[in-house]
Amino acid sequence: MIKLEDVTKIYDLGKGSTVTAVKGVTLEIGAGEFTAIVGRSGSGKTTLLNLAAGLTRPTSGRVTLDGVELWGLNDRQQSHTRNRTIGFVFQFPSLMPTLTVHENVVLPTTFSSNGHKTNAHERAEAMLERVGLSDKLRSYPRQLSAGQQQRVVIARSLINDPQVLLADEPTSNLDEKTEQEIIGLFHELHRSLGLTIVLITHTRQLVAAGMRSVEMANGVIVSDSAASG
Amino acid sequence: MNLLQLAWKNISGNELRSWVVALCALLVAAFALFATLLLRGAATSLELAAERLGADIIVVPEGAQTEMEGALLMGVPAHFWMPEENVAKLAAITGVEAVSPQIYLATLQDASCCTVSEMFMVAYDPQTDFTVRPWLDRQLPGGLGLGEVIGGDYIFATEANDGILVYGDLVRLKGNLEPTGTGLDQTLFFTMDTAHRLAVVSEMRAVEPLNIPPNQVSAVLLQTKPGVDTEELAVEIYRTVPGVYPIQSANLFQSSRTQLKSLLSTVVIVMALIWPLAVVLIGMIYLMAANERRRELGVLRALGATRRFVAQSLLAEASVLAFCGALVGVFLAVLAIYLFRRLIMVSLGVPFLLPAAGPLALQIGIGLLLSMASVFLAALAPAIKISRQDPAIAMRE
Repeated sequence: MIKLEDVTKIYDLGKGSTVTAVKGVTLEIGAGEFTAIVGRSGSGKTTLLNLAAGLTRPTSGRVTLDGVELWGLNDRQQSHTRNRTIGFVFQFPSLMPTLTVHENVVLPTTFSSNGHKTNAHERAEAMLERVGLSDKLRSYPRQLSAGQQQRVVIARSLINDPQVLLADEPTSNLDEKTEQEIIGLFHELHRSLGLTIVLITHTRQLVAAGMRSVEMANGVIVSDSAASG
Repeated sequence: MNLLQLAWKNISGNELRSWVVALCALLVAAFALFATLLLRGAATSLELAAERLGADIIVVPEGAQTEMEGALLMGVPAHFWMPEENVAKLAAITGVEAVSPQIYLATLQDASCCTVSEMFMVAYDPQTDFTVRPWLDRQLPGGLGLGEVIGGDYIFATEANDGILVYGDLVRLKGNLEPTGTGLDQTLFFTMDTAHRLAVVSEMRAVEPLNIPPNQVSAVLLQTKPGVDTEELAVEIYRTVPGVYPIQSANLFQSSRTQLKSLLSTVVIVMALIWPLAVVLIGMIYLMAANERRRELGVLRALGATRRFVAQSLLAEASVLAFCGALVGVFLAVLAIYLFRRLIMVSLGVPFLLPAAGPLALQIGIGLLLSMASVFLAALAPAIKISRQDPAIAMRE
């Protein structure tokens, strides 16, 4: 499904200074897998996720999604692939503050050129019902709690029926109870929809039985439960 | 949700920024339109007035040039005289096709015998006239009879049966001339016979009698033969007829034309300051807005928005604000010109004619386009810059 081959990402900090966030990483994530990428802050987890989604260009190496090399596509094709195939849940509040909950969920369909535009409103309502927020359609993000906002983000990530869900520390700003609820929701989506999920977390506590666990440190993969069997 | 709806949501969600951008667009559009309307209105008015006189040269007593222009331009009554024998002298000069004398009069100030105070009046000789007659032929083929008058665009009857009280005599307003935006719009025209009747009636019915010195005229309007150099003819007139000053119609309203040139320079300087300032200010606002919304725009890219969509959404937002601001701006400019045109004419000393609907619509369109282009131009660089940014970097703190 997602394949990174000998991928390196070096950030230019200006004045000749650089930082290597990811060093020669090779990783393959199969369809329907629930993978947790763990590691300390600064270990390169978020950069790895961004590379997998085509949100940043690798300095070297290849990134393929469903056999298609992402950086061989033009901007329109790449954006279309992201829109059609990947759902994102970010660590930071990522809802558009000027849009209502319903409009936020519908937003990705704006960029769709396929059939996702049809029935977008009905599907948005269904997604919001799925995450337990069907009564917040007309609310604005500022009127919701952090946990509710992340639920809306999850609903938004599902609106285009993606094959992959990429979540970058989605519970880092939440209390423990809400964190459990959100993680439970991911497991439920994995079970019911068969989604490929890549979850980044800095704590191993969220890695449940049956999940693949990839650990990163200093930009390299130091352990992979799939490899170790 | 489409591009415009998204743009509108951002506009309504960022009120302060939206107001500042719209205000800049308003100022650019309002100033540009106000200035061009004023300058074009004044220039058109001057051209129309010179054209309407229909004379190649106007001969006035020496020293009366300024008073003559004041009367024609602003309708300020003129009082000057020269011997009637000058008419024959001028007609005898080689190159002169036709001559026609005129007498300039004025109603009394705040007198019960005149319904309009200090109104400029022109008496013409219907036998030789070639300036008033062409307009009359279009509207009153029979010409004006004794006691009949025709008025400029602003003149209207104040008494019953189209009457206007002039020196105690009730003259009949037979019609109005098309507007020129000059003093001619506030001028009353009649034949010299009517002028002499007014003088006679005024002896009995007016507060003060109307004085027309015998064998005197105020000005002589002159047409040249085809191919004659008016400048050379003017020099010849000045040399051969003592005590007169020939004003070539090309040089007529010279002080107003100079005034207009100076106004144009001022407008160009102010515009040269305001326009780049507005563009830079809007550009900075959009650069700050784009930076402030960096993460938001990065999220849009992650959700599948193309670079083009991100740039277009910022430009659509700017264009909507520019259009709304500019629309209000042109409305205010037209309203200000319409309401205060008399005040502007008097304070700037230039005539003014509001353009017809077609040219006005064209000028409004140009004002709107200029304003929208300014905002678009200002927002273009920030929009392109932010759209080209790596989404992952844009989303980082």
